[in-house]
Amino acid sequence: MIRIAAVGDVHVDKDVVGRYRPALEELPDRADALLVAGDLTRHGTPDEARCFAKEFGALAVPVVVVLGNHDHQSDQQDQVTEVLTDAGITVLESSATVLEIRGHRLGIAGTKGFGGGFAGACASNFGEREMKDFVGTSERYAQALEAALNSVECDALVALTHYAPVPETLVGEPLEIYAFLGCYQLGRAIDAAPTALALHGHAHHGSERGRTPGGVPVRNVAHPVIKQAYNVYQLLSDEVDATLVTANKTGF
Amino acid sequence: MTTDTDLEAEIQRLLAEHDRIAEQGITVQRRDHLIVLGGEVESAQRRDEICKQITAHFPDVQITCDIGITRSQAPSEVEEIS
Repeated sequence: MIRIAAVGDVHVDKDVVGRYRPALEELPDRADALLVAGDLTRHGTPDEARCFAKEFGALAVPVVVVLGNHDHQSDQQDQVTEVLTDAGITVLESSATVLEIRGHRLGIAGTKGFGGGFAGACASNFGEREMKDFVGTSERYAQALEAALNSVECDALVALTHYAPVPETLVGEPLEIYAFLGCYQLGRAIDAAPTALALHGHAHHGSERGRTPGGVPVRNVAHPVIKQAYNVYQLLSDEVDATLVTANKTGF
Repeated sequence: MTTDTDLEAEIQRLLAEHDRIAEQGITVQRRDHLIVLGGEVESAQRRDEICKQITAHFPDVQITCDIGITRSQAPSEVEEIS
């Protein structure tokens, strides 16, 4: 059994330091690792990254993150990554890591991802150079995620993105902005590997649960969606009913 | 000039692009005589700054604020993924 804590869109700055820490200190009793699905900061500055590292770093469990669009706002994403890495936080971008947890290997592949839309309402690689660049960016992130997912050997594989891979977890957001919240190519990448769980953020007004076309469970862990410091997901349960389709909640 | 039609768009852009706000998750809904702000932010200071900046930029617009502060307690349940 592996338990993963996850949250996204925490947007840490000086005014938030201390809000999450009491709940994070309880993590070793509740989960084996913490995954954060981007938008760690408000404006993507190194100072804000230091605030995030102070709040989410030096925990008794490994912390693995991807950046979000907010973390790119100041064009200092490399410095933000460096601050986080120096604090012992693993930052994934088109890359993967494997955590050894009680004899199991948990693989996590991550990317920020990008928008582009979903079936029936997606951007096409056609027309102006700007539109081709937009769609090309979506495709590059998705291809990189697929390669990262397929690069690891593990017992349980998790995809971590900021942008959404399916439209189901966007329900609640205005339809008009779906194309800015995710893209189907991310879902296709997740389905191209033996992914057990996909986690994303970005859609503050979205819904918590969905599945990729291939059936991989997707969870939107944006903080305003889950409304608590983090959610906890259990993988590799000994007593899993393989026919169970709906989520099954149990107490700690 | 901001017209009545694009007021919500102008407010949405202010909320995202203003250095002291940077919020993309705030809803802006028009009622008969006012604008209702919704959604959640990470601190009371951020909520107050949103109202302050909208009032400063759109002094003729009456707003009411339903923005909440996202709770940050530890969870009490675990979801089994299968």
